[in-house]
Amino acid sequence: MTNKINLYDVTLRDGSHAIAHQLSIEQVEHYTKAIDQTGVYAVEVGHGNGLGASSVLVGKSQLSDEILLKTAKENLQHTKLGIHVIPGFATIKKDIENAILWGVDVFRVASHCTEADITERHIGYVRNKGKEAYGLLMMSHMTSPEILLDEAIKMQTYGAEGIIILDSAGSYLPDDVKERITLLSQNLNVPVGFHAHNNLGLGISNSLVAIESGAQIIDGATKGFGAGAGNAQLEVLAAVLQKINYQTNIDLYKLLDAADMVEKDLIKEPITISSLSIVSAMAGVFSGFSKHVKRVAKELNVDPRDIFMELGRHKVVAGQEDTIIDIALKLKKRI
Amino acid sequence: MFTLTENEISNLEKLKNKEILITGGSGFVGTWLTQLLLYLNDTYNFNITLYLIARQLTCNLEALIDSRKDIIFIKNDIRNIREFPKDIAYIIHAASSPDNRIYMSNPIESMNIISDGTKNTMENALLLEKLEKIVHLSSGQIYGSLDSHNITENDFGKLNCNSISAIYPEAKRYAETLVNAYRSLHKLPVVQVRPFSFIGPFMSLNKPWAVNSFIRDVLKTKNIRILGNGKPVRSYMYPTDMAVWILTMLLYGKSGASYNLGSDVGISLEEVAIKIKNIVGNDVSIEILNMNDSCSEFVPNIDYVRHELDLDITVNIDDTLKKSIQWFEKNLL
Repeated sequence: MTNKINLYDVTLRDGSHAIAHQLSIEQVEHYTKAIDQTGVYAVEVGHGNGLGASSVLVGKSQLSDEILLKTAKENLQHTKLGIHVIPGFATIKKDIENAILWGVDVFRVASHCTEADITERHIGYVRNKGKEAYGLLMMSHMTSPEILLDEAIKMQTYGAEGIIILDSAGSYLPDDVKERITLLSQNLNVPVGFHAHNNLGLGISNSLVAIESGAQIIDGATKGFGAGAGNAQLEVLAAVLQKINYQTNIDLYKLLDAADMVEKDLIKEPITISSLSIVSAMAGVFSGFSKHVKRVAKELNVDPRDIFMELGRHKVVAGQEDTIIDIALKLKKRI
Repeated sequence: MFTLTENEISNLEKLKNKEILITGGSGFVGTWLTQLLLYLNDTYNFNITLYLIARQLTCNLEALIDSRKDIIFIKNDIRNIREFPKDIAYIIHAASSPDNRIYMSNPIESMNIISDGTKNTMENALLLEKLEKIVHLSSGQIYGSLDSHNITENDFGKLNCNSISAIYPEAKRYAETLVNAYRSLHKLPVVQVRPFSFIGPFMSLNKPWAVNSFIRDVLKTKNIRILGNGKPVRSYMYPTDMAVWILTMLLYGKSGASYNLGSDVGISLEEVAIKIKNIVGNDVSIEILNMNDSCSEFVPNIDYVRHELDLDITVNIDDTLKKSIQWFEKNLL
């Protein structure tokens, strides 16, 4: 086993949350052209909730999956094109078959951390087509490390070539990461990965703890451009790993150039750790809820922090965005 | 499909004019046993009547059953059968899938099929006046974590019963113990057979096992990706040997004995991948990604089978792969 770390870029997918899924053709063209020179293993493109997710419920994309993916593919020669797949949003016939035709190389099939069963057909289909398939366990803080391992073993059995756990709410402390990644990497036969959110300012350090605990795949976004408080900042991560002598294949200057482009082309508001992001992490709620919570809180004149704490008590997960209004209305009645 | 020696034919003659029941009759093992038994009927006039019990019929068997009178298909769950046909002389209990995707996704149901299915098979067997022998198809996985290329029938490694991975092997261990309890209490004549790994016709290339994936990828001109270092060692038995061995164990195995069923010729995953690539002759690469250090080995010792039952491997690994690939090329692509 080597000390090689695959860096996986989620800027054009997780970052879609930050701009309400309004990526333009030019933004995708410019970014993929730039990232292709950096040595990043794969770049993920699409709606924040992945393939086939554009909808009134979780937000409509400006561009179709077909345009987004074909545009990205045209500009990628070295870096692989990845896609986030949540069964239910993405179907095999309507979405995955087409995504293969459009040139997607890497399919990351995600489920809530306790529902790996729903990924069996999708992972199996992708593997049968000779494409790379990974299993992603979202909201991984919502279950115990032991259950997480069971679910990861299921995904491995279905054919996943790596298992990535997502700190979707950005609520992990370093010891939480260490415990989970150590358990998974000691008990799985496939590489383990980690996807951080930066709500508590721990995106980079948690990613480093993950690597030290056995993770070989680390997600990040340039300038941290992702949902809520953003992800582990990819260029910072690359620099840190270079300092520690991990092999990443990254050309740091070119990655810094791509990051500067993101700042100029993509980021409308600086990615900061807002008060609301801290609250969402404390509540253990998916960072992607922030924009919806802020909007509903403003419309109904309810404290968005109360909405987040209540959402946390209800243990909501991505795809249950409609719950925000119900909870806000109940809170308003209490006022 | 089969080329049996005079000695093998002679050994199997005890099956003449008998009624045989196979549970899980439409699976890989059931399909191959059916092929062999029909071959014996057609070529050597064995006059065997074959009963297959399964929840559904696969297309491999459907045409056969429609056109023949010597097979009777009973479409039912083995747990629901209330009575076996009364003249059954031999039972091969093969119901339960070793596909780990199935038991991961449906762990409780999978354990129940093995436990209640085995119990119901034994209960029904108690009522058969002409019963001569039962083969209980267990699993090589019951040996648990041994990491050996030389697993004898008396080796038992660790099994973590709290892991989701233990669903199938623990259920199979329970089933073996249950079967032995029937042997002890009711004197049922039962032989335990522990299968290892196979590759050959009538198997699906969608199964989650390395050799199946390698063949599928090469036939589709895709690169073979080995996530680890390519060093884990497995062995592969061709199903004609498998079928002959099971029938021999059924007829000559000692009641209460356990027998390994598989090849003892270990081969690394990398070597298998190279052989498959060379046989197909496609211009594909073998990518060894070195994502883990596993050098695990899972190969049976078959000295006991050789010594007790005079059985041996007749199809070597090269021919096993060649014959399998020829069939997959014709039937699956």
